[in-house]
Amino acid sequence: MRPIRTMLGIALAFGMAGAPAAYAGDEMHMGMNMDMSHMDMSGGAGTGPHAHHHHMEQQKVTRMTADYSVPQIRLVRDDNRTVSLPDEMNDGRPVILNFIYTACTAVCPVTSRTFEQLQDMLGNDRDKVHMISITIDPEQDTPERLSAYARKYDAKSQWRFYTGSSEAILAAQRAFDVYHGDKMNHAPVTLLRAAPGQSWLRIDGFASADELLGEYRKLVHAP
Amino acid sequence: MRTLTALIVVVLLVPGAWAAPAASRGEVLYRQGLLPTGEPLRGTREADVNVEGAAAACVSCHRRSGLGSQEGRYIIPPIIGRYLFRPGLRNIEDMNVPHVEGYRPNRSAYTDETLARAIRDGIDADGRELNYLMPRFKLDDAAMKDLIAYLRQLTSQPVPGVTEDTLHFATIITPDTDPAKRQAMLSVLEQFFADKNSFIRGGHRTMHASREIMYRVTRQWKLHVWELNGPPETWEQQLHERLTAEPVFAVISGLGGKTWAPVHRFCEHEGVPCLLPNIDLPVVAENDFYPVYFSKGILLEAQLISRQIREMESRPRKVTQIFRRGDIGEDAAAAVRSSLLPEGMQVQDIALPESGLPQMVGSVLKDNSAGSVVVLWLRPGDLAALPEALPQVPSVFISGLMGGLEHSPVPTSWREAAHMSYPFDLPDQRRIRMNFPSIWFKVHNIPVVDERMQSDTYLACGILAETLAEMLDSFVRDYLVERVEIMLSHRVITGYYPRLGLAPGQRFASKGGYMVKLAGKEGNRLVADSNWIVP
Repeated sequence: MRPIRTMLGIALAFGMAGAPAAYAGDEMHMGMNMDMSHMDMSGGAGTGPHAHHHHMEQQKVTRMTADYSVPQIRLVRDDNRTVSLPDEMNDGRPVILNFIYTACTAVCPVTSRTFEQLQDMLGNDRDKVHMISITIDPEQDTPERLSAYARKYDAKSQWRFYTGSSEAILAAQRAFDVYHGDKMNHAPVTLLRAAPGQSWLRIDGFASADELLGEYRKLVHAP
Repeated sequence: MRTLTALIVVVLLVPGAWAAPAASRGEVLYRQGLLPTGEPLRGTREADVNVEGAAAACVSCHRRSGLGSQEGRYIIPPIIGRYLFRPGLRNIEDMNVPHVEGYRPNRSAYTDETLARAIRDGIDADGRELNYLMPRFKLDDAAMKDLIAYLRQLTSQPVPGVTEDTLHFATIITPDTDPAKRQAMLSVLEQFFADKNSFIRGGHRTMHASREIMYRVTRQWKLHVWELNGPPETWEQQLHERLTAEPVFAVISGLGGKTWAPVHRFCEHEGVPCLLPNIDLPVVAENDFYPVYFSKGILLEAQLISRQIREMESRPRKVTQIFRRGDIGEDAAAAVRSSLLPEGMQVQDIALPESGLPQMVGSVLKDNSAGSVVVLWLRPGDLAALPEALPQVPSVFISGLMGGLEHSPVPTSWREAAHMSYPFDLPDQRRIRMNFPSIWFKVHNIPVVDERMQSDTYLACGILAETLAEMLDSFVRDYLVERVEIMLSHRVITGYYPRLGLAPGQRFASKGGYMVKLAGKEGNRLVADSNWIVP
């Protein structure tokens, strides 16, 4: 229901709460898109245009601890092997995870470059970590496309890319509460975990490689 | 002297004639991220998250139209002159440029100097710092001048096919199409346009300020049917002449036969969006901007079948393909061949004459198929004439698109043996989504001659209507394509397809398919032979 949401956002931004109904009617008669689930009626902190009036301010990064339960999802790694996501994450190494897609032009080039920098900063500790990037555009991002993307960011063996069926990728996004209804709507999130069974540290926003390295070191050295 | 005078007159008569080279250098910088020196453009961000070349090009975020976009919580503002150089508004309702997602109307007007500061140092016209995502670019004065000249004129030309009260669209029909299908497609298009126009109440002018949003007049839609004739080599010229005579904003749907390439070239050369035609052999050129297709069609089937053959438990040594010369199966067979040859398989292509007795397929098969996997790129007439007995071969593959999908008239013994590529959602799974077009056809008494084609036509119209509704009055051809990219994956009503989606550099909305078999001795029931495969 994006058109209505956007209209609503515009109308709210313009202080004209009466307008959406007229547009909702106009859209509905096309009878084409009846999914109400993405609709943001609050006009507030959601993802509608109204929420973006602070975009000129400095980038804010927020951190929180969270427990996610990741179901048995089958993904396909960039080397074409079918793997289980929980098994990949529970291979004994600390995990640093994010979601990307290769056609993404604004957000992902930044987060992927940050992972590349982090990889360099880790130096000899690099192979002790498992960096995981999961695509949110699975039908486009084949293992071959992901390998090419990995080369672009000089990903070494500890940084792997994953795709899968649409259903599996949706389940992975839902498991980490990063699903926003559409790939174009995704936000930068980095998830870190020291070891299986422990809580996740979730960082929303464009954390720098320095910040991620700091968080990672704190996490793995925590008593 | 006379020549000089003539030159001066020409320059005076053509405003911007001097600016043209600067604009094109600006365009290279904007679209490709290359400086006038040929060196890559470099952008820096805090913490060294830098970009270079194509990744640094303005187009990658602000898009080809320059009207900006939105990615997640990040809005990317419009950067065409019309928005940059207009003064801020105290009363937002007085805004008299169309609203686009990223525009903040209360920002002061940029000057060339403050715009250069924004690009170099990330400080906006009011002295505020720009978002982290916007890199800071080192541009010398000459390159900056080129870029600003480009931004000044970007997306500022009058848009053809858009008048005060009417939006003009065309649909293109090639001469090698079935007249019944042509009529079936046009009945959907004409009804959709009539429906659209019947909701318009006259008497209002077009939107001049945002305060009119509630009363905004929707424009009439006018459909122009461009029927091509003669050989394909002449189509591009014919289309060019039609476009000159009847300027249209975009081309919607359409019907093609063996080749669509001249139409594709026309769309790309003229910069006209050509959205979602009914064709089975599209042009695969995803760096082209304007043509957008439902899927790769028969080439997607070629990928599906190649993949099945490559993954067979006992890998076949030989693959035999049968197709009619001049039909689209020829292209599909070529795609399979180039996919399997590097795998060390022997690929034998048998091209039957363009027309000829269907019975000949049986004898060709008998003589050539021993020990070979068989792939049939054949139409229903040839499939119906296959011998009743299945040949003793490791596997038989059939093109669903060419053969008639679940209606493919193969002999009984072939039904549960032959693997059919099926680049759509399964009938049982698409039933609910298909209620929308089906009921619409019923309500409007539109005879269903070709369900898939008519449903796709209806879908194309719906996608166009929905996208335009969201664009308000920003009628810009590039922006239409950019908005379709963004809107498409939000759709729930996707007809024959389980889902649709695009992105920059993606021009095929549905990306996978099933392998199926026909079930039972007769009828049109299918059983899935695989999960949804994205080859």
